[in-house]
Amino acid sequence: MIDALMNLSLGQHAAAPFTVLTLSHYLLLSAALFVLGLLGFLTRRNMIVMFLCTELMFQAAAIAMIAFGRYHMDVSGQVFVIFILTIAAAEAALALALVVLLYRRKETLNADAWSELREPAGE
Amino acid sequence: MVEKLWFLIPEMIVFGGAVLVSVLGLSKRKVIRDALPIVAGGSLLAALIVTPMLYDAEHVAAANLLMGNLGLYVKVVVCGIGILLVMMNTGLIDRRLESAVAAGRAKFDPISATRGEFFAFLLLSLTGLMLCSNANDLIWLFLALELTSLPTYVMVAMSRGSKKAQEAAVKYFFLGALSAAIFLYGFALLYGASGTIVLTEMRDVFARQADFGDVSNLAIVGMILSILGISFKIAAAPMHFYAPDVYQGAAAAVAAFLAFVPKFAGLLALMLLLSTIGWENHYRFTEIGLPPALQITLWIIAVLTMTLGNVGALLQTSIKRILAYSSIAHSGYMLIGILAGPGLGMSAVLFYMLAYGLMNTAAFAVLAGLERSGREIETLDDLAGLRQRHPLMAGVMVVSALSLIGFPPLLGFWGKLYLFIAGIEAGHILLVVIAGLNSAISAWYYLGLVKMPMLEQPSARAETVVRGPSLWPRVAGLITAAAVIVVPLFTRNLLKASDAAVADEQVFVTPDTDDSQQLASRK
Amino acid sequence: MLTFALDLNAYLPIGILIVMALLFAVVNLIGTHILGPRRHGERKDTPYESGMDPIGSARKRFNVRFYILAMTFLVFDVEIIFLYPWAVTYTKLTPGSNDAALFLCRIMFFVATSIIAYVYAWRKGVFRWD
Repeated sequence: MIDALMNLSLGQHAAAPFTVLTLSHYLLLSAALFVLGLLGFLTRRNMIVMFLCTELMFQAAAIAMIAFGRYHMDVSGQVFVIFILTIAAAEAALALALVVLLYRRKETLNADAWSELREPAGE
Repeated sequence: MVEKLWFLIPEMIVFGGAVLVSVLGLSKRKVIRDALPIVAGGSLLAALIVTPMLYDAEHVAAANLLMGNLGLYVKVVVCGIGILLVMMNTGLIDRRLESAVAAGRAKFDPISATRGEFFAFLLLSLTGLMLCSNANDLIWLFLALELTSLPTYVMVAMSRGSKKAQEAAVKYFFLGALSAAIFLYGFALLYGASGTIVLTEMRDVFARQADFGDVSNLAIVGMILSILGISFKIAAAPMHFYAPDVYQGAAAAVAAFLAFVPKFAGLLALMLLLSTIGWENHYRFTEIGLPPALQITLWIIAVLTMTLGNVGALLQTSIKRILAYSSIAHSGYMLIGILAGPGLGMSAVLFYMLAYGLMNTAAFAVLAGLERSGREIETLDDLAGLRQRHPLMAGVMVVSALSLIGFPPLLGFWGKLYLFIAGIEAGHILLVVIAGLNSAISAWYYLGLVKMPMLEQPSARAETVVRGPSLWPRVAGLITAAAVIVVPLFTRNLLKASDAAVADEQVFVTPDTDDSQQLASRK
Repeated sequence: MLTFALDLNAYLPIGILIVMALLFAVVNLIGTHILGPRRHGERKDTPYESGMDPIGSARKRFNVRFYILAMTFLVFDVEIIFLYPWAVTYTKLTPGSNDAALFLCRIMFFVATSIIAYVYAWRKGVFRWD
């Protein structure tokens, strides 16, 4: 049944595209956020932006949880989201601490400035 | 509810130890601050003693977990090796501050003292690992995995004052956050596919789906994302590349911690998650086992992991990098057991984790226990001729390297043997052959770790290697090396213990009626 | 089925809120323009009369304690969200029942852990500004 829902493309709602919000709309939103976060993480080099991208991915998961929770009429999805927020906050505190620590050392937020640890140059 | 809390008593003890240690770390009296490792080790010892008393058949049945007895084995192993890891980290943190205070050059200032926090984080991470073994829902598993990982990021940053440690911490943290997001998304999809977060219920849902055809694609995608995310924790292929950098940047004692604790947590999470989707030859599932997509994914990850790990280690000169690549390779070996599945496979993984924890800790203990001009020894050259100056440490290094190769009759040999047997029994012959070839490659660099201390003459550089200020890392090294030699005598008992840990005799207390009819019709 | 019909009436409160917010901003701007006194001077002409000096490099150094405090705030701030579900559930329990006592104990334990963390931060000297 879920698969059938997943397979519902937007086209089937073409008659009234914006009148009905289905599970797939929420999942598309969450997948889009997740991919944006992933792409941002891989392409950006500013440490704060990289961290924000991982937060974006966390929130994508949270949206999917809530949508699924509503779909299954089950509260555990929402409960999960509260815990996701907590972990996200703990990670934010940690990220802030680490970034400040590094910024004080090198006065830059560019992740590429930190490349002391690497494979030894080819011998 | 109460049954759940009953099994959490060891975690509570260790958590209490963490709180106590962090508070005592702010004490103005040096005696108390020096006693921190004893308090930390004491809480682990208490948990170790209490754990076997908690697991009796009655409580296990009442808790209705996926693998009821898993916690017993895991907690005992974790507390035991945890004590050794505490010993290794003794005297590592706040060395400069403490010597300045002792010499009267500085006043003790709580805000710059980090020793208490360091041991608290160490204990919290172990608590997270122990919690993984009791997990029965996705929230619990997620929180336990994060509780295991978050403190390790801080520990890496604290472990040394150098820029390298900070760089390592940031790399580790960012990839850790990315991997957490990936497996969290996987969890969300699993929840969506099953409509429940409770693992035992999830297994029933997937079993029913399998009965009506196939497990839903949503579940498969969710499971693959979870595996990819967790592969960071066990340092497996798509997310393995951080390991050498991070291990090199962190202090040796912390690197030993990283090689054991998050890896064990990740493997436990994999076991629990895969058990829900047909991995276990449970009566509700057909005999097919894992869905093919997952089998292929795990197979590729296993081969890539062991090959990249072993090939990567060949060209290294830094011992910590070698051990990091070796840690990657060993994850690959353990994935054979994960693929082989329930019974022998899982039990072999648990046994191997114990073996790996001991022999790997021994290798890092040598690095943590020796130093050259006030810094940890880094390169292979530093080990040259170690036999002449520090014979015991040279012996520890040799035993650990031989065991890592899988040289009989040391512990590593038995671990590998059972993994390979499990793989062959499950029909993964090609995988085991590849693993065997990889072991042969690995002999090259491990034998370097044997040859350097035993056969080479000490270079001028190696002449300056002296003992580190703290005795305890070396004691930990000796204990682990002795264990690597002695424990094989008890292999049979240990295997019995790990078999019991993954047995699921009590899994279904009351199978509901329509399912038992299905069972009857199947038979 | 997860469907929400788009009923415009349901969005009426949001519409009213937006209109009120816009009105508030516009009325305030116009009001200060009409009623406010106009004096000029070096201090008076800066964008933030009593705030930070906007002239000079924006990369001013903050005391690192600021960050520690910010982090502490962040963590405690999030703990509050655990109180909401508890509060909603607690009112539905019979007063004086065993469940109510159990729920109270649980939240007390949760608050106690927060207090331990707070006391630790205090002893550590996070809130000291010297």
